[in-house]
Amino acid sequence: MATNNEVIRVEHVVKEFDGGVRALDDCSLTVRKGEVVAIIGPSGSGKSTMLRCLNLLEQPTSGKVYVDDVDITAKGVDLDKHRRKMGMVFQHFNLFPHMTVKKNITLAPVRLKLKTQKEADAEAMRLLQRIGLPDKADAYPAMLSGGQKQRIAIIRALAMEPEVMLFDEPTSALDPEMVGEVLDVMKELAHVGMTMAVVTHEMGFAREVADRVIFMDSGKIVEVNTPDELFDHPQHERTKLFLSKVL
Amino acid sequence: MWWSNLFADMSPASFFNFSFLPKYAVFFRQGIEYTLLLAVCSVALAVIPALVLALMRLSKSRLIRGLSGAYIAVFRSTPLLVQLSIIYFGLFGMIHIPRYSLFGFVDLSRFIPGVVALALNSSAYVAEIFRAGILAVDAGQMEAARSLGLSKWDGMQLVVLPQAIKNVLPAIANEIVTMVKESSICSVLGMAELMFGAKAVASSTYITLAPYTMAALIYFCINYPASKAIEAIERRMRRGDKQ
Ligand SMILES: Nc1ncnc2c1ncn2[C@@H]1O[C@H](COP(=O)(O)OP(=O)(O)OP(=O)(O)O)[C@@H](O)[C@H]1O
Ligand SMILES: [Mg+2]
Repeated sequence: MATNNEVIRVEHVVKEFDGGVRALDDCSLTVRKGEVVAIIGPSGSGKSTMLRCLNLLEQPTSGKVYVDDVDITAKGVDLDKHRRKMGMVFQHFNLFPHMTVKKNITLAPVRLKLKTQKEADAEAMRLLQRIGLPDKADAYPAMLSGGQKQRIAIIRALAMEPEVMLFDEPTSALDPEMVGEVLDVMKELAHVGMTMAVVTHEMGFAREVADRVIFMDSGKIVEVNTPDELFDHPQHERTKLFLSKVL
Repeated sequence: MWWSNLFADMSPASFFNFSFLPKYAVFFRQGIEYTLLLAVCSVALAVIPALVLALMRLSKSRLIRGLSGAYIAVFRSTPLLVQLSIIYFGLFGMIHIPRYSLFGFVDLSRFIPGVVALALNSSAYVAEIFRAGILAVDAGQMEAARSLGLSKWDGMQLVVLPQAIKNVLPAIANEIVTMVKESSICSVLGMAELMFGAKAVASSTYITLAPYTMAALIYFCINYPASKAIEAIERRMRRGDKQ
């Protein structure tokens, strides 16, 4: 069992890309069980890189990432096994275009032998029911709207029964009228106690749903606080400046 | 004119003096079949090695990348005739293939070395086609697969490759068209394909030009419609992708 209910703990992570860009500069954070953490900040501040370091889609240059108290940056850990615990939702959905919606959802659980095809199919239908798209089970992604794609991407990740869900600007590639339906699914998830880390430009969502908000700038975590404190009483100049532009 | 003499014995009609046809049409028919067999078999045989080469080329290990790169470089930077000769006399000089005849005119002891040489050559080109096809699949696809806990190989096999292969099918069909032309070089080693048929007709009828015109016409009538059809399919596929 993780100490202090920490699902993820990041310690002094630095990420430098080839070419010398320091996207993350000594970042530390924790995500506790059942908590929603929103990550906000200007473009290029390292939010995506931070999120992608949590499931090691990006390998940190230095520093450590613990999941359930296991250091997943250590040599020899079974990364695939730890990634299963962390669902990820991308800005551009990344549904598999050559598979039906149902196949998208059941591929990983069946392939990794967590479920039989039959169990996975039943679970997929249950999840589709939950987002109101059961009739899309046999459709291909190209036939869906952006909002539908993103909701399906969310339940595809949920089908792995993850401990935590990571979202990287899940609504910023959507037409405005579809943002609501995706945020509603995320709110419902938060409501039933899912642990979530959400990179977002939706300040309203961060304020309403997040338990804590992390403000990043130039690869650094500048400020971490409850939404009310961070939005109403920002402590740092850079936070104030950023909020004055987006609120 | 000073150059009139050069063409004195060559009337335009001699290009199209197809008087040999009634008797020798069978040479061309068998030549076409042999050529198509060579082209299709060699590209088909090239597909798996090409896929392996392409995956090696995208490997993290420098050694594996280098090995595949060297293979591709060698086969793309030396003439096909040279490769063919080395493989025919070198490799198959040591391996004995029984003189078994397929369909009555495909002599396996020549056909197999020819196909192997063309396939080894073609795999270098098809490998580059695959590599481009794999790189053209959005990186987010592999990331989505990995984030679901799938291994790199599962992600490649289940998510990236099916999309890559669909995208490269037209290019592979084009490679067959290329092979239909390139395989004419096998006539040098006595493989009874179309060019060899034309040569045989020329030497037995003493009609030196028209058999080759005939061969050119046949090559054209195979390849031109084929590449037009591939182009049309490619256009339709691209339109389909946009939706
Ligand atoms: N693969 C990469 N190679 C090189 N540099 C990169 C790479 N990915 C990100 N960067 C750089 O790292 C920095 C942080 O990028 P990141 O995508 O994490 O920012 P972000 O906060 O998510 O921005 P946005 O709001 O625009 O998505 C930027 O300067 C970016 O150019
Ligand atoms: Mg980003």
